[in-house]
Amino acid sequence: MSDRPEIVFRARGLTRTYRSAAGDVQALRGVDFTAAQGDFIVILGPSGSGKSTFLNIVGGLDAASSGDLWFKDHHLTALDERGLTLYRRDHVGFVFQFYNLVPSLTARENVALVTEIARNPMTPEAALAIVGLTDRADHFPAQMSGGEQQRVAIARAIAKNPEVLLCDEPTGALDSATGVRVLEALVEVNRRIGATTLVITHNAAIQEIADRVLRFADGRIVAERVNASRKAPAEVSW
Amino acid sequence: MPPLRRKVLRDLVRLWPQALAIALVLAAGVATMILGNGAFASLSDTRTRYYESYRFADVFADVTRAPLALLDDVRAIDGVLAAEARVVQLALLDLPSLQEPGAMLLVSLPENGAAGLNRLHLRQGRLADPGSSREVVLSEGFATAHGLRPGMTLALVLNGQRRELTVAGIALSPEFIYALGPGEMMPDPRRYGIGWLPRQALAAAYELDGAFSNLVVKLTPSASVDWVIEQVDRLTVPYGGTGATARADQTSHAFLDAELKQLGTMVKVLPPIFLLVAAMLVNMTLSRLVTLEREQIGLLKAIGYSSRAIAQHYVEFVLAIAVVGIAMGAVAGQWMGAELAHIYAQFFAFPFLVFSRDLGLFFLAALVTAGAAVSGALLSVRSVLLLAPAVAMTPPAPADYRSQGGSLWRKLGLRQTSVMTLRHLLHRPWRTLSGVLGMAMSVAILVASLWSFASIDRMIDISFFRAEQQDVQMVFGQPEPPRAAFAARAMPGVMAAEPFRAVAATISHRNVSRRVTVFGRPAMPQLSRVLDRDLRPMDMPEAGLILSEALAQGLGVRQGDTVTVAFLDGSRRTVNLPVSGLSVGYVGLGASMELGALHRATGGAEAISGVNLLIDENQAPAFFHAAAAAPETGFLSVMALTVAQFRATLAENITVMITVFVGLAGVIAVGVIYNFARISLSEQGREMASLRVLGFSKGEVAAILFLELAVIVVLAQPLGWLLGYAMARAMVAAFSSDLYRVPFIIGPGVHATASLVTCAAAVLSALAVRQRINRLDLIEVLKTRE
Ligand SMILES: Nc1ncnc2c1ncn2[C@@H]1O[C@H](COP(=O)(O)OP(=O)(O)OP(=O)(O)O)[C@@H](O)[C@H]1O
Ligand SMILES: [Mg+2]
Repeated sequence: MSDRPEIVFRARGLTRTYRSAAGDVQALRGVDFTAAQGDFIVILGPSGSGKSTFLNIVGGLDAASSGDLWFKDHHLTALDERGLTLYRRDHVGFVFQFYNLVPSLTARENVALVTEIARNPMTPEAALAIVGLTDRADHFPAQMSGGEQQRVAIARAIAKNPEVLLCDEPTGALDSATGVRVLEALVEVNRRIGATTLVITHNAAIQEIADRVLRFADGRIVAERVNASRKAPAEVSW
Repeated sequence: MPPLRRKVLRDLVRLWPQALAIALVLAAGVATMILGNGAFASLSDTRTRYYESYRFADVFADVTRAPLALLDDVRAIDGVLAAEARVVQLALLDLPSLQEPGAMLLVSLPENGAAGLNRLHLRQGRLADPGSSREVVLSEGFATAHGLRPGMTLALVLNGQRRELTVAGIALSPEFIYALGPGEMMPDPRRYGIGWLPRQALAAAYELDGAFSNLVVKLTPSASVDWVIEQVDRLTVPYGGTGATARADQTSHAFLDAELKQLGTMVKVLPPIFLLVAAMLVNMTLSRLVTLEREQIGLLKAIGYSSRAIAQHYVEFVLAIAVVGIAMGAVAGQWMGAELAHIYAQFFAFPFLVFSRDLGLFFLAALVTAGAAVSGALLSVRSVLLLAPAVAMTPPAPADYRSQGGSLWRKLGLRQTSVMTLRHLLHRPWRTLSGVLGMAMSVAILVASLWSFASIDRMIDISFFRAEQQDVQMVFGQPEPPRAAFAARAMPGVMAAEPFRAVAATISHRNVSRRVTVFGRPAMPQLSRVLDRDLRPMDMPEAGLILSEALAQGLGVRQGDTVTVAFLDGSRRTVNLPVSGLSVGYVGLGASMELGALHRATGGAEAISGVNLLIDENQAPAFFHAAAAAPETGFLSVMALTVAQFRATLAENITVMITVFVGLAGVIAVGVIYNFARISLSEQGREMASLRVLGFSKGEVAAILFLELAVIVVLAQPLGWLLGYAMARAMVAAFSSDLYRVPFIIGPGVHATASLVTCAAAVLSALAVRQRINRLDLIEVLKTRE
């Protein structure tokens, strides 16, 4: 076993072009990227720079127009719809700005939704414990605050013990204090299960908590920074 | 065009499949209304017009032989407008194309042409020359069945003598709209027809010069039918009168009446079902639309649109769907009406068919339909009116599922996706209920139409295979002495012969009475039998009567009661007889006695009306040849042919009926399931897309919706069976008349078929929605808040 963590993502020349009658939009114009096991990566960049597009391709929700993307030994850019579904199911956890919880299921049930189809899940209770929501397990989304709902979404994302955790503006709809709690949950998860974590945010302050920071502009990664030391979420504020 | 009006059109275009599904259900309601009422009106108007224009009589009486002078006495009866003395006799057909000889009812033409009652409507040729003895006018059905045209010839056996007649014309008569041969259950135009002959020729052939055998009477509008019948009976009894009958008991009229009664039932049952289902669909769809457009409604109110204007917008949307439905229904109704008229025209011999394109009916249907659609919209529109703009513009609070059971589901060990489904169904209980009820209606319609198969089989089985064992029933032209049975037994091919006697009678109990034919049978009948409730053949009691259940019910009597029997034959005796037993039977009102007992009851004159025969199949041609030549033969009823004709006629009608009902049930099932699925998808699309993101496959996500639909469909089945059972019961009651009753039998196959058909329709609609699940946009759902 070497000290160097295993490389989990390798991307070469990823592009994504949206075709429409009004004209083509080049959302990604050639992205090269690698990420190692357990990396906590924050992605910054102006609106429309292609961050979500990139994350969606990495998460197997969207297909690149050209270029290659590898997850370990899975050639993601060669997979079909069914293959991508399996990839998401087995390896990826998602957290989104709008939580996307199922309103008719309790917190526990929302998490169980995923653990029921996962290969190697933790219990819903364990996942909720990680995000500090043990006592809200039987509440429905309508009975919880936005921050709590987002933490349920994180619990749901991590309950399968994913190798990848992808978060698109997870704190976007939350106030600062709540956002910190959510970030703490993400960091905690990253530490505990060692999932490679990519977090898109508009909040530059958040970059302090990352191992690496990618900056997107105009469909490319224009800057990359490695933090020598990471701050705890509680230390950053906005 | 005002912007809101434009929005109506856009919404219609956008939601066209759902709108179409609702419009189709409405259309089915309109179509059944127009078709049913139209056909009912058409049939009864046609009949009324026909009767009036062709002077159909009100009272009918048969005598053996009465002098023409008696006619003046009849005309003198108070309330008699016109009376006509005719010669009516049954002749055997001598057609090479028929192995089993058929029969022709010969009716004399009035001497002075146009003045007569029951006038003919000539279709081809002319009336027979009054002086000719070789010309005949044929009923159209018979002529068509044999390809006979004016100028062609036809051989008949009149009173034992073979005679060649020339077809002068082909005609229809209001008296024989439904031409049923004696003892038959369905008209068979090949084996039974009507022939009109000049009076002189016919009278001469039957030795009735200066006499008549049949009397038809037309009454003044104010006349009392019963009283006139009494007077006619008083006059005709001495001449072998068997009792006059009112129009209501005239065969052709009574069958038409039964048909009208059935149609009337359909008209009452079907349209309300469709309108109810359509109203429920409108309600479901519109309340979802209003929920989705909550913010728009708030915005419109905020910028100054009145609540009324916005409510009107939604009503217009619904009305637009209704208009499409009404238009489709009107076209379909007219078209199906024309088809139905076509079937009637085949079945009933009308010279014309009044298929009234009744504007009033159309407007009524349109009004009722639009009303049903709008009433379905009322609740949603009310919520639009009540919505305060400020509230409307904030997004709705997330659906609260607190009350939909927490731990229960977990204990059941259900998957989370199933829990989702069940909670979603419980969350909108009224909509779920509407879906179940709508689907149940579809099942019910099928159950209520499919049951008739088993019933008809049962009817045939009981009537033809268990009760009546004879191959041929030979009805004599007139009563014969008992030894005629031995003569029949001696005919070639006859293996067994069993005499019977048929005497017209009025049976009464308290103040209820029924006109029936009392059958005299041997003490232990072997061929023509009656069956008890356990379908065992019954022996004839020594003195009492055996009544069919239908007759007993009609009279309100039970076994052991005593009834009064007034025989209408020459004896005119009235006796009190005990009801010794009850028999099952579906055709007509039955009363039987032991032959000897009947002779005694009528006063001793021993006569038989005919014989039931068992025929050796190999010698059938020889038998029929001999039977046709025998002078006493009046009519031969061949069981196998009767059954075949019965089956063929019903099969044709039922195929049409089943096709229509399966179509109608399909429209409901598709309408309900498709709308339900679309609404559910609209509510849960976001969750489903989220599940796809989480790694659920398309199939797994579709399964969530399908489970929801399956729950609706499954819950609907028992309810539908129950409703269908109730509808079928009501139909049995409505279809039953003194002419026939319908046994009520619902086999398990009926439920299975109804469920299969509706499930197939549901699966098709679900598959149509599945395309939309496959196309869910995964990324879009992440970018937007609901
Ligand atoms: N479905 C689509 N069709 C056409 N163009 C699209 C589509 N989705 C995204 N785009 C375009 O692609 C570009 C990149 O979009 P993307 O959503 O990746 O940006 P982003 O960096 O996530 O922005 P934001 O910070 O606002 O979320 C934008 O110009 C956007 O308009
Ligand atoms: Mg984005």
